[in-house]
Amino acid sequence: MSDEKFRSQQESWKKSVDRTLERFPERKDTFKTSSDIDVERLYFPDNDNDYENKLGYPGTYPFTRGIQPTMYRSRFWTMRQYAGFGSAEETNKRFRYLLEQGQTGLSVAFDLPTQIGYDSDDVMAEGEVGKVGVAIDSLQDMEKLLDQIPLDKVSTSMTINAPASVLLCMYIAVGEKQGVPLEKLTGTIQNDILKEYIARGTYIFPPKPSMRLITNIFEYCQQNVPKFNTISISGYHIREAGSTAVQEAAFTIANGMAYVDAALESGLDIDAFAPRLAFFFNAHNNFFEEAAKFRASRRIWAKIMKEHYQAKDPKSWKMRFHTQTGGSTLTAQQPDNNIVRVTMQALAAVLGGTQSLHTNSRDEALSLPTEESARIALRTQQIIANESGVADTVDPLAGSYYVEELTDQIEKDVEAYLDRIHEIGGAVQAVEEGFMQREIQQKAYETQKNIEKEEEIIVGLNKYKLEEEVNPDLLKVDEALEQAQIQSMNTIRQQRDQKAVDYSLEAIKENAKDSNANLIPFILEAVKVYATIGEICNVLRDEFGEYTGI
Amino acid sequence: MGKIRVLIAKPGLDGHDRGALVIAQALRDHGMEVIYTGLRQSPVQIAQAAIQEDVDVIGLSSLSGAHKTLFPKVMEALRERNASDIPVVGGGVIPAEDIPYLLEQGVNKIFTSGSSTEVLATYIQQLIDPESAFITPPKKIAHIGIAVNKIDDVLSFYTEVLGLELEGVETVESEGVKVAFLKIGESRIELLEPLKESSPIKQFLTKKGEGVHHIALEVDNIDERLNSFKSKGIPLINTEAKQGAHDSQIAFIHPKAANGVLFEMCQHPEGSEK
Repeated sequence: MSDEKFRSQQESWKKSVDRTLERFPERKDTFKTSSDIDVERLYFPDNDNDYENKLGYPGTYPFTRGIQPTMYRSRFWTMRQYAGFGSAEETNKRFRYLLEQGQTGLSVAFDLPTQIGYDSDDVMAEGEVGKVGVAIDSLQDMEKLLDQIPLDKVSTSMTINAPASVLLCMYIAVGEKQGVPLEKLTGTIQNDILKEYIARGTYIFPPKPSMRLITNIFEYCQQNVPKFNTISISGYHIREAGSTAVQEAAFTIANGMAYVDAALESGLDIDAFAPRLAFFFNAHNNFFEEAAKFRASRRIWAKIMKEHYQAKDPKSWKMRFHTQTGGSTLTAQQPDNNIVRVTMQALAAVLGGTQSLHTNSRDEALSLPTEESARIALRTQQIIANESGVADTVDPLAGSYYVEELTDQIEKDVEAYLDRIHEIGGAVQAVEEGFMQREIQQKAYETQKNIEKEEEIIVGLNKYKLEEEVNPDLLKVDEALEQAQIQSMNTIRQQRDQKAVDYSLEAIKENAKDSNANLIPFILEAVKVYATIGEICNVLRDEFGEYTGI
Repeated sequence: MGKIRVLIAKPGLDGHDRGALVIAQALRDHGMEVIYTGLRQSPVQIAQAAIQEDVDVIGLSSLSGAHKTLFPKVMEALRERNASDIPVVGGGVIPAEDIPYLLEQGVNKIFTSGSSTEVLATYIQQLIDPESAFITPPKKIAHIGIAVNKIDDVLSFYTEVLGLELEGVETVESEGVKVAFLKIGESRIELLEPLKESSPIKQFLTKKGEGVHHIALEVDNIDERLNSFKSKGIPLINTEAKQGAHDSQIAFIHPKAANGVLFEMCQHPEGSEK
């Protein structure tokens, strides 16, 4: 391409941005540094050098430089802190506190019994009720959880996978009670079962019926809840389990392709569901590698969607993602040091162009965060957004020899993994054979050995240690909660219309047998008459069987 | 005895098994037989598996905050099956303040975040087989001790002729000696000069004249090692470790044990070795 043509394309991009700006104005009329230097929206090279091919402009294919033309000059990323513990009432209080403190979206952590579809009085739930998140048994708990939170204004992300359909239905039911039209509900369900088998462990059913539930949700939401993100394809937990940055990106994208394949197989049109696919990545300490990972992942996904799946709608090509800083990088030793780690990781995510961000609290290697720790974590994002100036231009790392080389190299290595997984027969097959699990575990063990040999230095852990650690104040979940939760569930069981519950559960059972039926409307009916999550999941367990690991 | 058998178990619903898997592999690398239960085991299932597999020790991992309920339940399930002689160790995200309660419930030890797999493996080895436990060999020759009449008279041979670096000279009152350290690779030469008649070095010089006095070995777990030597009837000069130079813990083995060679064991505090 001639320099002249290259410059004329720059001009046409600038003009297209002007049109966007009429609808989405930037935060300020002009951006300046402390020395009064003007900060342009975008910096780019004077000549071609593959620029259009590899980088392109923000908001245009292949989206290496971001999915919107103006990125954070218009609006900061969504600051979304994952929270939840104990009872629905307590968590509701924490949510309202975080919203008052300037948080812009909710993110619900559920306790393990909820995540694995057990009621709080199930023998398997013993000791776990309300521990790592909020306990939800029936619609009543969801009503308490979202009390006085306007669902037409706040978007909610729910970390729920195997029983995602049940929690989504409860959310829809609360929305209806608040009088919010379904098409105005916004948020995300994680709904990514493959990474549960690989790394996170909260699976219930075997892969095949699990994939069916997921495509049922895609279809139902496309028709009824169009602004809801129906899946958050997650590399986060793969990374926490010990993978490298490349493996995180590769296995996540491979899983994403498996969901696309499943949806296509069930007869959905690519451009009908692909724009609602969202991703969820980790941000660890190797600063430039992390930023490059995000840029490379966007480019790879765009190419796959456009070239491999032939999606026509540019929205289908865009990889939108949430980022959380790396829990496994935090140390129990000298926990205040974690604030610094989180800051670096958050900065890498922002420079990588994330759409939303959770910053971990300093005490997470010890327990759930206290209110004070959660506030510092949120303030960390606010400082990056408002004080550092990194949000004032788009993709400031572009053009760095190092970052562009890393981006290219990550792309190459990820594609090599994608080829291997393709040879195995796709992500579902690779999961069933334990391929990804083995790859990750090998890296996890290598990392541990390197730390013990002090080839990898972790400040405060294997170097710069303190003789005596100070024990910080930690959050304690009330042990009496379990009994109170069981009590309130029993009350609901007595007050509800049992006939309606039985009828709705029977309908789920019947339709579960028919692999062509969409189960979501039936689950929604059951939820509305206060059937519990355990009752609904047990019906499905009977029909689908349970996954027991490999 | 044969290989130590370990059951690594994940009680409750917690799906975080990175730690459990890493530990399973590390213990295998230490020559142990490891059985991993997989996720979501009830306390009763864990106790049954431990008995069925005839394991020597159980390792529990929990990161979900349910340890205060689930670990004691495992202990109870073992008691009910007359298997409370199987020791139990635990790990995961466990706040320091919960540890005393868990130990009270009969858990042998809790390893929290940041513990090394080496330390864990050594702990299990000692717990199950105290006799063989510390068989991790000495790490290096810490120094060679040479008895001399007067340090000042011989020092120039070491510093000028051999060209070694003099690290320092210090007095160890308890032994009645003056000591000069000369660095040589990862080891040292230690020149020992008696300061009084009662000094063991004086006795050595009187009996044998100047020359090599002892060889010092750098070791881990000096106390456990001494206990085991005692139980094996190895003759010792020091049955308990005592304070040596540079904050080290030292103990001498009697020359009878090693054909007339005097061995010293010394352990430096972690990270202090140069």
